[in-house]
Amino acid sequence: MLSCAARLVRAQIQSKPTACWVVAARGYADVVEETTFTTNEYALHKLDEGPSQSVTVTRDDALKYYRQMQTIRRMETAAGNLYKSKVIRGFCHLYSGQEACAVGMEAALTPDDHVITAYRAHGWTYTRGVPPVNILAELTGRKTGCAKGKGGSMHMYGNNFYGGNGIVGAQVPLGAGIALALKYNGSNNVCVALYGDGAANQGQVFETYNMAKLWDLPCIFVCENNGYGMGTAVERASASTDYYTRGDYVPGLRADGMDVLAVREATRFAAEWCRSGKGPVILEVATYRYSGHSMSDPGTSYRPREEIQEMRKTRDPITGLRERMISANLATAEELKQIDLDVRAEIDKAVEQAKTDPELPVEEMYTDIFVDEPPFKVRGTNPFMYGMSK
Amino acid sequence: MASSVLWRTLGRTKLLPSHSLGRPAGHTEWYRNFWGTSRVFGVAPIKLHMPALSPTMEDGTIISWLKQEGDPVAAGDALCEIETDKATLTMDADDDGVMAKILVPGNTKNVRINALIALMVPEGEDYTQVDIPTETGTPSAAADTPAKAPVPAATEAASSSEFTSMRHVAGGKGHVDLSPAVRYLVDSNSLDPAAIVPSGPHGRLLKGDVLKFLAGDPNAKRQDSVPAATPSPPTPVAAPPPPPPPVTHPVVPPAAAEEDEFVDIPHTSMRRTIAKRLTQSKTTVPHAYSSIDCEMDSVLRLRKKLQGSGVKVSVNDFIIKAVGQALKSVPEVNAQWTGEAVQLLSNVDISVAVATDKGLITPIVTDVPSRGLQNISETVKELAGRARIGKLMPEEYQGGTFSVSNLGMFGISQFSAIINPPQACIMAIGGSRVLVEPAEDGHTTKTVMTVTLCSDSRVVDDALASTFLEDFKENLENPYKAALL
Repeated sequence: MLSCAARLVRAQIQSKPTACWVVAARGYADVVEETTFTTNEYALHKLDEGPSQSVTVTRDDALKYYRQMQTIRRMETAAGNLYKSKVIRGFCHLYSGQEACAVGMEAALTPDDHVITAYRAHGWTYTRGVPPVNILAELTGRKTGCAKGKGGSMHMYGNNFYGGNGIVGAQVPLGAGIALALKYNGSNNVCVALYGDGAANQGQVFETYNMAKLWDLPCIFVCENNGYGMGTAVERASASTDYYTRGDYVPGLRADGMDVLAVREATRFAAEWCRSGKGPVILEVATYRYSGHSMSDPGTSYRPREEIQEMRKTRDPITGLRERMISANLATAEELKQIDLDVRAEIDKAVEQAKTDPELPVEEMYTDIFVDEPPFKVRGTNPFMYGMSK
Repeated sequence: MASSVLWRTLGRTKLLPSHSLGRPAGHTEWYRNFWGTSRVFGVAPIKLHMPALSPTMEDGTIISWLKQEGDPVAAGDALCEIETDKATLTMDADDDGVMAKILVPGNTKNVRINALIALMVPEGEDYTQVDIPTETGTPSAAADTPAKAPVPAATEAASSSEFTSMRHVAGGKGHVDLSPAVRYLVDSNSLDPAAIVPSGPHGRLLKGDVLKFLAGDPNAKRQDSVPAATPSPPTPVAAPPPPPPPVTHPVVPPAAAEEDEFVDIPHTSMRRTIAKRLTQSKTTVPHAYSSIDCEMDSVLRLRKKLQGSGVKVSVNDFIIKAVGQALKSVPEVNAQWTGEAVQLLSNVDISVAVATDKGLITPIVTDVPSRGLQNISETVKELAGRARIGKLMPEEYQGGTFSVSNLGMFGISQFSAIINPPQACIMAIGGSRVLVEPAEDGHTTKTVMTVTLCSDSRVVDDALASTFLEDFKENLENPYKAALL
């Protein structure tokens, strides 16, 4: 009742007399369809002008981004809990805190663009179209996983998405290769090759910059700078922490990675740059991860807990978007709460399914070796064991 | 209009409770979709389970709780300190909320992974109304079906009902995958794999499980598969103990009972070395034993005479001297067995066994034939003294060509000893006893001592041993002969 009255008063102030009726009848009328925000400055390197700081977002898009980020957050939390109860084994690198990067970039790309990233890939797998239940089932090693449960965290593939790569910095040359293929085939698409601040010092990354610039490949090199390479802070690891300038002759820009709209705008700019044939561009997104490097790292031995809590309170991407949406009347708090609960229910259900789905039978050990081969005999783990490859 | 406003307002806060904070929208607790269920059923809790903070962690200790009941919790806050097998780490919260109930208090050891340790409620809820879940314990399941698939109980008793996934069922009786080592043990001991509690992943039987079973560990048998030693979280429903199987086992866990019956004395390195060498000797060297009785009267008389002159020598010194002489006359006994040949040694060094607190040690008296009785006596006394305080140099007890061990002072009449490799023999000296023999005019008494020669029969066979012993007896019974060599 009180909220209704408040809205009435606000509608008066906005001098929309018809809103009085609309408020009484619907109660959601003051929710706007589109609004404009101002993002933080972008740092530019060898670029005359950068992306615009004033970004416009529609209500539907904002709700979509919110829902996607919340899904990734809950999915990663669920994966962490599954790991702690030993249902997921091996490695598990969580994306909590960095959701804005995946969601923002995906918003500016098309499904025909290609993406390749490193091992912190669950968020990207989701934005590239794999439902959370298949991601979680893959982590727990079940048949319904996106790679049939055969690969786990390091084998997440999706639509034009090349995974999950274990070796640090190995995916960057591959990304340039994909961009080369796109250019060679004459398509208008770009390839986004992501790497972290730790991998930014790898030698092959610079070799890749050279080749990409030489041949003007449509490749966006994205450095997800979360401040720590495993446990080493960027100041202790890199002589220059301005990763967007590290390409030297490759133009670059830095965006606030905790603001999904800034990331989207920056990616849109970069994609346009590449699509117009101007060659590669480096996009550094300054972001933060709340959990440790992987599940074996508590995350508090190299940084104070207060820092993590501070980031959660002041710069959380989901909270940031939520506050923006509520203050600009893009959505109501209840709506967003409802999304939270729906997402929670969806992920809970996915977790249940991931725990109870059947595993692959042993015969599947011999399949999925080649793409197009007739069935052949495959040796097992000793010279006396054989299976058929189907 | 007004009614629709009213309806909307009501709808937003009351009739569609999924809008309000904290109501679970999941399909499992459907009854909570009605308003007021928190008053009737209590608030649906967020369950906190014991996390596996390292890949090898099986259980851990909760050291202390950093959040008490009623404290607000933000995502990322440290909840409690947990000590794992590797380090002390903190458990962090994932969600915002209020700490509602601590089920496992601080300073609890051996809390299994996935045990329910605490409950939280989402923000805005009354934490005192939290619904404490009753333990859907699997120990009772084990009691009911001991033969069928007690793998869930075998894995652990605490709140594993949520995790009875397909893998546990698949790992049951039908699919017993045995590794070659396990298969060998099972076959050679004619065991039934289904009777052994598996502890490997997916219900696999491990070699350790079979070995424990063979060692007779009652916990390894499936019948009484509820190990009483594992603590389950303190919940209102106590798991009923399994019905006693036909073979009665003590209700008290055997480990606790045994602790009162023995005391462990940990091995010192000396004991370990002695054990190793003795075992090696007894198992690899073929021991042969020959005994002979020696008349000690002459020795005792000479000893008394020397005592009268102020020279203190013991019977042992006479024996050592006699052995030295005998080794000179029968040099084949002063030998060693090597892979290629029987090595006849030129020096006669005799190891004399001395009992110390830490074990038996054998200091060496070198070149016995060239020493006089007094010299031998002094040397032995000095070496024995230093041996007892552990001040012997390695070269003073390592080596030697022949050993002498005397237990006569302890009242032992006769015994056999274990050869110290690479030596060929050890002489075991018993105590003297008085024998009465009939003689022409009544009886005579003589003091007799039994000596047992334990020899490596590869080097010193029975014939050679007899020759040696005869010579030794000769030397001992006629101590003046010592002056001849």
